[in-house]
Amino acid sequence: MRNVAIIGVGYTPVFVSKRKDVNIVEMISESVGAALNNTGLTPDDIQAVTYGNMQTFEGVNLPHLWTSDHMRALNKPTIRISTGGTTGMSTLQAAYYYVASGMYDLVMAVTWEKQSEGDSQVGLSGIVVPEAMTMVQHGMDLFSGKGMGFGGGGSTGAASYQAMSYLHHSGASPEHIDKMAALERSNAALNPYAHLRKKTTVEDVQATPMVAFPLRFGHTCPTSDGATTAIVASEEMVNKLTDGNVAWIVGLGSATSDPCTANFLEGQITDPAEQMPAKIASEKAYKMAGIEDPGRELDMCEMYNGFAHQSLMWLEKLGVCKEGEAHKMLDAGALNIEGEMPTNASGGVFSTNAIGASAMNRPTECALQIMRKIEGGHQIPKKIKKALSHGWGGMFQYVTVMVLADEPVSS
Amino acid sequence: MAFEMGPETRQVQGMWDISTYRYRMEGGGVRLLTEAMKEKRIKGVRCNECGMVYVPGPTYCRKCFVDIDEVVEVEDRGTVMSYCVELADVRGNPRETPLISAMIELDGADSWFVGAVVGIEPEEASVGMRVKAVWAENPVGSLSDIEYFEVLEE
Ligand SMILES: [Zn+2]
Repeated sequence: MRNVAIIGVGYTPVFVSKRKDVNIVEMISESVGAALNNTGLTPDDIQAVTYGNMQTFEGVNLPHLWTSDHMRALNKPTIRISTGGTTGMSTLQAAYYYVASGMYDLVMAVTWEKQSEGDSQVGLSGIVVPEAMTMVQHGMDLFSGKGMGFGGGGSTGAASYQAMSYLHHSGASPEHIDKMAALERSNAALNPYAHLRKKTTVEDVQATPMVAFPLRFGHTCPTSDGATTAIVASEEMVNKLTDGNVAWIVGLGSATSDPCTANFLEGQITDPAEQMPAKIASEKAYKMAGIEDPGRELDMCEMYNGFAHQSLMWLEKLGVCKEGEAHKMLDAGALNIEGEMPTNASGGVFSTNAIGASAMNRPTECALQIMRKIEGGHQIPKKIKKALSHGWGGMFQYVTVMVLADEPVSS
Repeated sequence: MAFEMGPETRQVQGMWDISTYRYRMEGGGVRLLTEAMKEKRIKGVRCNECGMVYVPGPTYCRKCFVDIDEVVEVEDRGTVMSYCVELADVRGNPRETPLISAMIELDGADSWFVGAVVGIEPEEASVGMRVKAVWAENPVGSLSDIEYFEVLEE
């Protein structure tokens, strides 16, 4: 396979709860325009476009085709990818496959969500409606908890089982979730492309209402409007078009387990906090990247965390530290922007969640950190040579991983 | 960041009625389970290859990818594998009393059954606690025939 690099990133000017001034195609166009501006490329230079957003969240079909002109995809191949929370990274991985295979040299990956125009609860319900309705017919009661009914808090309700199991097995306390939440929200305050930008203390988090213990309102992500575009290039194009300040995609992986939440009809057999796909996908990515000791060799991490306990959990599941060690790293300050393993310097999904773009914003944040092109105050001071980005979604079961580096892996 | 949002544009209401869709579900394992529940019993399906016991049972093993049809009965008591304390209901309205919602591995099963644990304060709940089903007086073959679970003193 050929070496592939991210050569440029384009965000919408802001990620907020409601972009009332633009419609969907206009918002996507902003991000695509920014990526072309930042790379000095024109639409003619781009050979193929991959495109990602959530199915049903805005209740629209075939958006990759009716936005084709606004995303400058005319006369080019385009494909829509929708893998749940991981959509953004899956879309970038698809662009990588195009270039790594040798089929194209310059490919653009466009990801977005405009949640203010849709209803993410309806989108999420759509995942389980047929099964849940069948169970309701057989006596499931979503209100009382009778009949295998669980529904309190929607997505938070399901995540709270994961959080509790994680706390039990890791030895972390609910206060560690508060602490991680405060750290990431405070990081987001420095990031102009974050949605919830407020310096936050542990006390601020603890003052928010409990949704489903152990998760509070202050542990959950917002719903955001925003789009992110990344342009990937072959090594030949990197040499021809850039000054060499790019971020190389040196390893990637993805894996699914069985659905480990809401598997009503056929028996849930997997602990939602087990997350074996994270181990499988990251081992594949580390091997490609030539990484033997992730905890030592990685310089930063960007985790997909719809809920604040997850950053800690992923550090363990992705082998950055041993099981039960992440909260100790947090206590030691290692996860701070100035720490040994800065984690979610961007503020994470937990602070900004335009879902289709959320797993894209992890590798793009890593790329911009490597290129030292971070806008705002969250540039990690040390040189970033290798960075880990991660996506998560589906029915708590699908994981994507991408390792970025300042140099390609020599083959 | 000097970005300022432009003037607000008009919004129109859309509608997509998912109640017009018609799903047909297999659900054989659920029927097996609810039939057994009429007699205050819990039945699932075991895989002959790996021994995995599922409640409700699928028609194939999700670990070995082989068809499975061996019916087994499991206990109505088990171990709490995880739980949460729901303070709001599915519509987001506050509950009068918090509900302990638990994922329970029934003795003899490998899958997790969901149920409310009643009779203890949320602070007393823990992963690993042992619980037992409390059945409706007159079960009718509904998943709701298990009213709730109570903590088991062993
Ligand atoms: Zn089996």
